[in-house]
Amino acid sequence: MNRLLVVRCPDLLDEDEDGAALRLFVTVIGTVESYCPWVTTVRPGICSLPARGPSRYFGGEGPLARSVADAVSDITAVEVGVADGLFAADLAARSGQVVPPGGTPGFLAPFPVGILGHPELAELLTRLGIRTLGDFAALPESHVLGRFGADGVTCHRVAGGRSGDLSHPGHPAAGRRIDEQSSRARGDRAVVGESGFWGGVSDADVRAGRALAAVQDLIGADGVVTARLQGGRGPAQRARFVTWNARENHVDPTLVAPWPGQIPSPAPTVVHPAPIPAELADADGQPVSVSGRGLLTAGPHRLSVEKGPWAVVTAWAGPWPSEERWWSRSRRRGARMQAVTGGEAHLLLVERGRWWVEATYG
Amino acid sequence: MFVSPTSQQGDGGPVRRRAGESLALLAERTRPVSSSQTRLLPVLPPLVGLFPDGSLRRGSTIVVSGLALPGSPDGSGGGISVALALLAAASGAGSWCALVGLPGLGAVAAHDIGVDLARLAVVPRPGAAWAEVAATLIDGVDLVVLCPPFAPRPAMARRLVARTRERLAVLVVVPGRSGWPEHPDTHLSVSDMHWDGVGTGDGYLHSRRMTVTATGRRSAARPRHHHLWMPSTTGSVADAPGDVAEQAVTGPMARA
Repeated sequence: MNRLLVVRCPDLLDEDEDGAALRLFVTVIGTVESYCPWVTTVRPGICSLPARGPSRYFGGEGPLARSVADAVSDITAVEVGVADGLFAADLAARSGQVVPPGGTPGFLAPFPVGILGHPELAELLTRLGIRTLGDFAALPESHVLGRFGADGVTCHRVAGGRSGDLSHPGHPAAGRRIDEQSSRARGDRAVVGESGFWGGVSDADVRAGRALAAVQDLIGADGVVTARLQGGRGPAQRARFVTWNARENHVDPTLVAPWPGQIPSPAPTVVHPAPIPAELADADGQPVSVSGRGLLTAGPHRLSVEKGPWAVVTAWAGPWPSEERWWSRSRRRGARMQAVTGGEAHLLLVERGRWWVEATYG
Repeated sequence: MFVSPTSQQGDGGPVRRRAGESLALLAERTRPVSSSQTRLLPVLPPLVGLFPDGSLRRGSTIVVSGLALPGSPDGSGGGISVALALLAAASGAGSWCALVGLPGLGAVAAHDIGVDLARLAVVPRPGAAWAEVAATLIDGVDLVVLCPPFAPRPAMARRLVARTRERLAVLVVVPGRSGWPEHPDTHLSVSDMHWDGVGTGDGYLHSRRMTVTATGRRSAARPRHHHLWMPSTTGSVADAPGDVAEQAVTGPMARA
């Protein structure tokens, strides 16, 4: 794979209104071209050049990187890095490293999968316990293809340092700094390029993008999320939240597929992030449980959520057995039930004789 | 900037309305949304009667208090549903919305009520910075639903209300147990909730009847009661006739 030298100008990543940043970047490109004529502009503020030729002339990649950094730093703040392939070289530039030939897979391994800029893929991988690029790269490619498709394979090759580039340069994650606190005006960038309505971006969209980026700067990028629907049985599986990023918008095809065992509409308004422990008792105050044949041992009469006061159960439906992940050792066997207490209703889950409030129809 | 009429997720379920209503809504959506120049944000047709203007007035604050039920995990019985319903029509018309301080939004329910999830940003756990987060969002988003994680100080609440007025946003507060020290422009309170469809072990939760009482300021000070199905059989919001005999005819039948 190509040895690439990436020049990042952190102050020029965001386009400003009068184009001064862009003009300055053109000057940067001119300077870099004096080292090698094959300069490629990756996106505003970032350009790359093949390192092999000029590094022979300048006595190695380290001296070349230093020399380029010195020349450009007269114009603007700059970060320079060298690695195999554009993706790794861009990351190397952010930390000002020269990754030795062959060292790219090892360099990439500790980065979180989110750095690939595919929030959905990253979310899924994290749920599967695969948190770093190294873990991801260790999966066999045929499995990745089967599970994640062609896009997944592209990411997988990049994660393993076997391919240099994700197919979509200019993705926000490519411009996002690892250190999230120092992101500047990310909202503008996230909103620019969004398809929006009929291909346009309105003032309202830009304002909203700015406000959300400001909140992300305040409490961290992961603090602002947006909901996506997907197929699934329980309420927690039917939606997932991905970090706010005003670009992608699509509907999961699994939505259309029928999901056996799904509880009919209406859906609960609150799906508790972690099920809340609860107690269910019959009229005599004895705990209610579900027998091996999926029947209640007694009619439920009172419900206490998180050791709170008892509320009278006025009506209930179920239980319905739910066996999830029956193929895996971590399978869960339990039952779900709806219980009405006054005007509020809860979706209860019972597993191994313990009750939980999974969701609330608030 | 015009808004596409198909911007709402078009799978029919929550937004299948009668012809007249959908026409009105279409007219609302195809109108240019030049944000702050439009003084009013639309609401779903069954909620029109709750507001003196028949819509949400920009700059106003609405407090939604649910029924305080014993043992309720969040103490906002019905309040979340009402708040989500307030977002539905506006988000469908292209307004950006934000929800602050609700750790486990039921996204499916929000979608079924009619909220365009692509226009909704969620800040589940703003932590100690919740007021600052809310203030920042008020600056850029049309509708902000706030579930304060802690009891707000009066000065803090006043600042948010003033900012909402100045920025021509709409602030919907679901105070739950935290309370809200300011007098809102409109106060919506939920009462008489009743679930249909379940008995003793049979059926499924099906639909919920509730009364929402709106109290405003000045000319709108007289309480207005509205009977609603929320959620209705489709998970959305529908008028519930006040008369019980009528309800037996038009109300949804239990699935049994």
